[in-house]
Parts: sequence; structure tokens; C-alpha cells
Amino acid sequence: MSEGVLIDTVVSIETPEHIVFQHRVAGPARRAMAHLVDLVLCYGAVFVVGVLIAIAALGASSIGAAIDDALKLGVGLLLVLLFAAQWVWFAAWESLRGDTPGKRAFGLRVVTTTGRPIGFTQAALRNLLRAADLLPSAYLAGVVAMAISPRFQRIGDLVAGTLVVADARVARSQQRFALWPPPYPHELAALPTEVVLDADERSAIELFLRRVGALGVAREQELASMIVESFARRHGFQGPILDPVRTLALLYDRAANTGRVDAPPSSRTGLAA
Amino acid sequence: MKTSAPKESAFVERRRGDWDELEALIHRAPRGLKKIEPLAIARLSPLYRDVCADLARARAAKYSAPLLEYLDTLTASAHALLYGRPTRALATRLDKTERLPVLAAFPRAVRRRWRAVLLASALFFVPMLIGVLVSTLDPTFAFKIVPQAMLEPLTEAYAKGFADGRTSGDGALMAGFYINNNVGIALRCFALGIFGGLGSAIYLVHNGLSIGAILGYVASQGAGGNIVTFIVGHGSLELGAIVLAGGAGLSIGWSVVAPGDKRRVDALQDAARDVVVIVLGAAVMLLMAAAIEAFWSGSSVPTAIKRSVGGALAVLVLAYLGLAGRR
Repeated sequence: MSEGVLIDTVVSIETPEHIVFQHRVAGPARRAMAHLVDLVLCYGAVFVVGVLIAIAALGASSIGAAIDDALKLGVGLLLVLLFAAQWVWFAAWESLRGDTPGKRAFGLRVVTTTGRPIGFTQAALRNLLRAADLLPSAYLAGVVAMAISPRFQRIGDLVAGTLVVADARVARSQQRFALWPPPYPHELAALPTEVVLDADERSAIELFLRRVGALGVAREQELASMIVESFARRHGFQGPILDPVRTLALLYDRAANTGRVDAPPSSRTGLAA
Repeated sequence: MKTSAPKESAFVERRRGDWDELEALIHRAPRGLKKIEPLAIARLSPLYRDVCADLARARAAKYSAPLLEYLDTLTASAHALLYGRPTRALATRLDKTERLPVLAAFPRAVRRRWRAVLLASALFFVPMLIGVLVSTLDPTFAFKIVPQAMLEPLTEAYAKGFADGRTSGDGALMAGFYINNNVGIALRCFALGIFGGLGSAIYLVHNGLSIGAILGYVASQGAGGNIVTFIVGHGSLELGAIVLAGGAGLSIGWSVVAPGDKRRVDALQDAARDVVVIVLGAAVMLLMAAAIEAFWSGSSVPTAIKRSVGGALAVLVLAYLGLAGRR
């Protein structure tokens, strides 16, 4: 695979069309949050039923019915619900639609290791084995298994052959790199009409620009100033380089988004293959 | 070598229409193809193949990471929708020509795993026998295994007999308790087998010894006949289910210890898929046992009837597991 895929939270799956696509495997933190949401939802539901039973029992006693029997029936029902919350909730949701309400809230989905939706058997197995993941407490065994497994699989995932992946369902327009603010007239004047960056240069600059704002201003300027001189000279940038980051962004924008000039492939074809 | 690849923005502009259409289709059918009309399904296939090609093209041209990620997700979602669920699941092993395939698959799986089930029986019934014998001879032995505070009221209850029966409220309460407690024990007994079978073995031995100690202690206090009458009604289902769940746990444990010529994780997955029907069957047996235990075993039905019904049920359970679904 090409570079950028070496990140270990990505798993590649080959389709019958011989296209390899990648799932972003969900990490323990996001899964823990989704799990918390599920716990609140299903035990919250049990709690609500419990309150209703208590109210019904009180109501029954006020009309003189056999409160004892009614209350015992209610407690019996509550015990069954507690059982369902522990053993049925997750397996039922996942076998019906591949996620639970908590997972859905965090954009997580369970798929098989071959990237297909899971069926009943997998949903049952991975949630039965939850009892092993829980040990000795607070999912310690599960976290250890996730740390050892290359694809963040807890014990239940290993047994069922499943993965939890994160869907990137973000609007495309918000995701693409956009030059902001838009180029000023003096910047446009300084820019050459076409900038041809090869693919490696383009992806390197893009990776850098996506992290601008998270690195600290001084560090950003320092990094950009290392390469901006040679880039600007090579591509005929006609102006003073006041802000190295901005200049890189302008060059990138011109190369990636403006016009329709064909770019050469990687300059390091041998390495990238 | 120069290849011709359009600029990213031009590429996106040209292909955006198809992507949006595919994305809309996927959103309309989150649970599979059943919800969308045939015409749209016919559209899905070419759109999917086009986006596969787009992904390959975008990767070759090294477009920006967000675009690649978007196309990845789109391809993955469309793939999941189009190719559906795995066919290796439980359903494919069921023989659809039979009238009730699940009813036959369960005892077949039990017989396929007879070695593990036999070992589980030994791990359960031998400690149980020891518990009975030792605590009959020396009742204080039972206190080391089951708390005295629990044993004494239990003995009193059995000594009273079943003349009073149980109220329906008591029955419902106890049914809930048995489901929560016993089914949970069986499922855990299976799951903890993953640790080389040790978890299942410990559960089996501990439960066998405890039940044996209770039986022996209650018998030593002179209420042995009553407790046997109580247990015989549901015992075949309840104890049988714990043993079967334990056997399933030993099976997955053994597949990790001795995977043979497969990779460990593959052996584990094969074994787990093979025995999952045993676990589910055991859970169903325990649900039935809970109903019997709550509403029948403690009822005021005469002892002779309880014992003969219980005995008949035991024979039925063994015959089902041993004979049903034979070809």
C-alpha cells in the first residue's frame, strides 16, 4: 500500500472488484463512550420500568388489591429485564442492524474482519464473550486484548471475527482543504497562473496544512519557512514571503483547486510503488 | 512518465452527482436492500462500481486525504449494502429441508462435541458426588462451601415440605430470579472458557461442589427426600444446561490451547461458530427449567407425581440430546 496507510488504526479490505478500501478502526476511548451511552439507555429503561412497577403496586394497594403478589410479580419482571439489559440488549441491536444506539451516536459500526455486516452468530458471540472482556473489572481483559490485537479487537471480537469501525460521515465540502481567507488581489498578482506540484509534494503540504492551528504558531512558521523559499522560487512566486504558512497555502490551493492543469505523478515513483 | 490526471477540484465537480446519488441510496437503506425499490437497486450496482473506480483513480493521483477518506467510506458503505451479510453464519449449516432445523442442529452440535460435554459432566458431577458424600458424613463440611446462614433457612424450608405450595406472586418472583441468576451463570460458564477452558472448569467444579454440599447437608438434617423431590422436576434441564454450556466453553478453550494446523484465532473462531448453538440451546433449557422450578417444583403437587414427571422429563432430555436429528 502507499504511504499514509501505515497508520495502524486503518484496516484494508479487498472487494470482489479488487478495490481495496479502508475501514478506520475505532479506538478504546470512543468505544468506551459509546458503551457508556448504551449502559445509560438500557439501565435507564430498566429503572423507568422499576418506577412504573412501584407506582402500580402503590396504586393496587390503594384499591385494596393483593399488593404482595403484585409487587412480587413486578420484582420478577424487573429481574428478567436486568438479565436482558446484561445479555440481550447489545446482541439484539447488533444482529438487527450492526450497531447499538450508543455506537450509532458515536458513528461506530460492527463489521466482520472481511468488512461485511455482521449476522446473528457474530452478534451473539461477541456479546456473550463480553463476560470474559469484563474481567477482572472495568473491561481490563478487553483493553489488554485490544492493545495486543493489531485491529483493536477485544476478546469478543477475536472470537466472533469482528471489528468495530468508525464511519466518517462528514459533509465533503467541510472536509476539503479550503484557503481561508480567500486570496487578496496582491497575493493573486504574486501567484503564477499555474503551479505544478507533484503528488508527493502535494500530499506533504496538504498534511501540513491540515495540522495548522494545532501545532502552535511559532512551530508552524518554523516548519513552513524550511521549504517555502525553494518552493516559491521554483514555481515563480512573485512577491515577498511575509507569512511562510500563507504562502504555502496559496501555492497548494493554486495547484490542487484552481484550473485544470495535469500534474505529473510522483517524482519518487520507484519508492511509492 | 507522465500520466494525465485531472485536478482534484475538477475531478470532484465531475463525479459529485454520482456520489451524492449513491450516498442518498445508502442513507435510505440502512438495514439492507429490502427497503428500496427494484429500480434503485439496479442503480446501486453501477454507482458502486463507479465509485470503486473513482477511489482507485483518486489514490493513483494522490488527491487530498479528506477526499480519499470520503471515497473510502462511501465505497465501504456501498459494499456493505450490496454484498450483505456473511453466509457462513448459523443459517447455512441448518438443513432447510427439515421441518424444525434448529431443533435438530442443537443436539447434533452436542453430539459433535461429545468429548467436551463428557469432560464437563465429569467436572460437574464428580465434585457434586463428593459434596454429597462428604457433607452427609460430616455436615460441617458444607459450611466451608456454602455459608451456614444460607444453609439453615434452606434446610428449614425443605423440612416443612410443599403442603403450602407457593403463591403465584412467589412463583413469578422466583422465575425472574432463576432467569437472571441461572442463565447468567451458564452464559458466563461458556464465556470464561476462552481462558484455555479454565474458567468453565472452575465454574463447573464450584457449582457441582456447592449443589452437592447443599444436597448432602439438607439430607443429613433429615429433609433429603424433600430436596430430591424439589430438584428432580427441573434438575435434568437445569444441571444439563450448565454442563452443556461448560462443555461449549471447554471446546473454545481447547481450540486456543491446541489449534492444530490452523492459526490460533482461526481455530477459535471455527470452534465458537460450531458451539454457539449449544450455548443458545442451553439458555433455552434454562428458561424452561426456570418456569418449572418456579411454578411446579415448589408446588403442592403430590410427591409421587412430581418424581415420576421429573424422571420422565430427564429421560426425554437425554433421548432428545442423544437421538434427535440423527441421520
